[in-house]
Amino acid sequence: MTLKRYLDTPEVGRNFEKRKTGFVGADQAWLSDLRARAMDKFMATGLPGPKVEEWKYTNLGFLARFLAQPQANENFEISKTDPDTAEIKSLFDRAYIENISGPVVVFVNGHFYSALSSRPDEDGVTFSIFSENPGGFRQSLAEEKESTPLNNLNRAMVTDGYYLEVSAQVTMSRPIQIIHLATSGSDGQSLHTRGKISLAASARAKVIESFLGPDGPQYWTHMISDVDVAEKAELDYFQLQLQGKQAIHITELHSVLLKKAKFNHMNLQLGAEVSRSEIMNSLSGEYAEIGLRGAYLGRVKQSHDIFTRINHDKSHCQSNQLFRGVLDEGGKSAFQGKVIVARDAQKTNADQSNKNLLLSRKAEANAKPELLIYADDVKCTHGATVGELDRDQLFYLRSRGLDEAAAKELLVEAFVAEVFSTMKNGGEKNGDDMEILQQRFTEKTRGWLSREVIS
Amino acid sequence: MDKTTYEESKMLEIKNLHVTVGGKEILKGLDLTINDGEVHAIMGPNGAGKSTLSYAISGKGGYEVTEGSVLYNGKDLLAMDPNERAGEGLFLGFQYPVEIPGVSNMNFLRTALNSQRRYQGAAEVKAVDFLKLIRAKAKELDVDPEMLKRDVNVGFSGGEKKRNEMVQMAVLDPSMAILDETDSGLDIDALRIVADGINRLRGQEKSILLITHYQRLLDYVVPDFVHVLADGRIVKTGTKDLALQLEAKGYAGLGIAENAA
Repeated sequence: MTLKRYLDTPEVGRNFEKRKTGFVGADQAWLSDLRARAMDKFMATGLPGPKVEEWKYTNLGFLARFLAQPQANENFEISKTDPDTAEIKSLFDRAYIENISGPVVVFVNGHFYSALSSRPDEDGVTFSIFSENPGGFRQSLAEEKESTPLNNLNRAMVTDGYYLEVSAQVTMSRPIQIIHLATSGSDGQSLHTRGKISLAASARAKVIESFLGPDGPQYWTHMISDVDVAEKAELDYFQLQLQGKQAIHITELHSVLLKKAKFNHMNLQLGAEVSRSEIMNSLSGEYAEIGLRGAYLGRVKQSHDIFTRINHDKSHCQSNQLFRGVLDEGGKSAFQGKVIVARDAQKTNADQSNKNLLLSRKAEANAKPELLIYADDVKCTHGATVGELDRDQLFYLRSRGLDEAAAKELLVEAFVAEVFSTMKNGGEKNGDDMEILQQRFTEKTRGWLSREVIS
Repeated sequence: MDKTTYEESKMLEIKNLHVTVGGKEILKGLDLTINDGEVHAIMGPNGAGKSTLSYAISGKGGYEVTEGSVLYNGKDLLAMDPNERAGEGLFLGFQYPVEIPGVSNMNFLRTALNSQRRYQGAAEVKAVDFLKLIRAKAKELDVDPEMLKRDVNVGFSGGEKKRNEMVQMAVLDPSMAILDETDSGLDIDALRIVADGINRLRGQEKSILLITHYQRLLDYVVPDFVHVLADGRIVKTGTKDLALQLEAKGYAGLGIAENAA
């Protein structure tokens, strides 16, 4: 069930009509048709309202602003001189992990920004940018793994995106960093980007994706990632959300794993006023393994909504989920984790753990694990807790000289660290990279903690 | 007490201390003075208020002081936060040291030491110097340095936890230590290590308050004074002989009711 209550449909339609000639690939009929069809679908459903169970914890009312207003950002790349390049550079420096050398691809306000990018350049790795070659995305845009309202909207309005393809047997020599920046001039803009990561049989890659913008503007990052991991391939995919305080951050990730494929995803949500992360996965081959880990920290008006789904479609697959939430004064979160084990998916091994820490009486954490099991020879566990800091631990630390704030910080950091501690197990060869990345995640978490409020 | 008439030799001065826990009065007018360099032992039956005394002195939440005063080096201890009491040089050895998953012993100890040094207006200890310090202390106390890399008390045996308390005490170098049943649950080797840690501190003219159920520890650390705590008050004070008498005759034999509280 969806509700149209947030949308003035004619106005949204008129706005789309007005803007469509400015869209990337507007000269290509297949793409214009695809956009128009997706828009029709979106208009027919509108945005999901709070009565839709899956959207119970995130109110999308504020998106109306982005849909009803014309935007100025369509031709960003053409008028490249307009944006403040000094600002972009300084935002970039905050997001870029210097110690991890390797290719880096930058998007600014939803558009590819070549000036700071250096694309992957090695045999067996194909990389393309949507705005340069929309045709390369024809198949993935048409695939329509999910026909949700927001997915349709993204398809209709897509601003830019990337496609990373690693050939069979190829291991990418370095991790690739994808950096999405929003500038102080992005207020009112919606940045509908797409990513596609495709690993052929026995390929390996690491992708680190960061989202960052300044406090002040209310922009909407709306990113959809499609991930294909073929037989025996291994993908590590990290997302680090460091958006500005007023930002809205909505991502969807769809992964499909074939036989003996491995997919590790780590997700850290620190910024934005409202974030929603959907992580939908299909284990479509036997012996596939998926690990989803994440931490979300929220305070004041922040709300984080994590929605995961793992479809165990084949036998002998493993899934492991570990999510930690920390909510302070006014912060809100929801973790909805669904595991569906099909009738044929015998010998499934599925774990799910979600723990939340409330640092204030005015914080709220919702946990909703959901297991649908149709096979009979499986091992599935789940655990969800919402608790406070342990008084005995706090007193122990304080009795050794730590003041209250320092003691709380240390305990919260330890609580979250469990999520990052698994990173180092990544790969032998890239062990150093993973240590650097773990450090980055820890630093950013510490930064969030020490900012002020922890009271 | 007026600061001008305060006697410099008094480390800890407790007067008429009344402490309530969960609405129930546990300490009912306790008096105790410990001078510089003295070792005192407090013994007493279960429920007499021994642990309550250690928590009230170190400032644990839920231990409400309804009457009385506690001066530490002449300063009003009860007006301070637990971390300030630590910064003033007070150390509490826990009966049940707390496990803290995700925090390494090293990180914990360095943070603690530097917090105290900041409080005292001293410069923080550099990472290299800290490593040297902690290795030296671990060696003195015959503690495996590997233990220091593990998370605080996580998966430690009872004996390891108490040894870890001794390492902390040695590194933080307090002017006074209150050791709450530090000897309980230890085998003879661990007891010797703990006693060794206490005697090292004693050798530096520090004050020590041992809270213990058995006199066994007192064979290794000979106290200057032994007090018997019953029903929230000190009811008897003597020397080590008092502990031996208790051992021989029991509390009842000395006219002290068990579970008096």
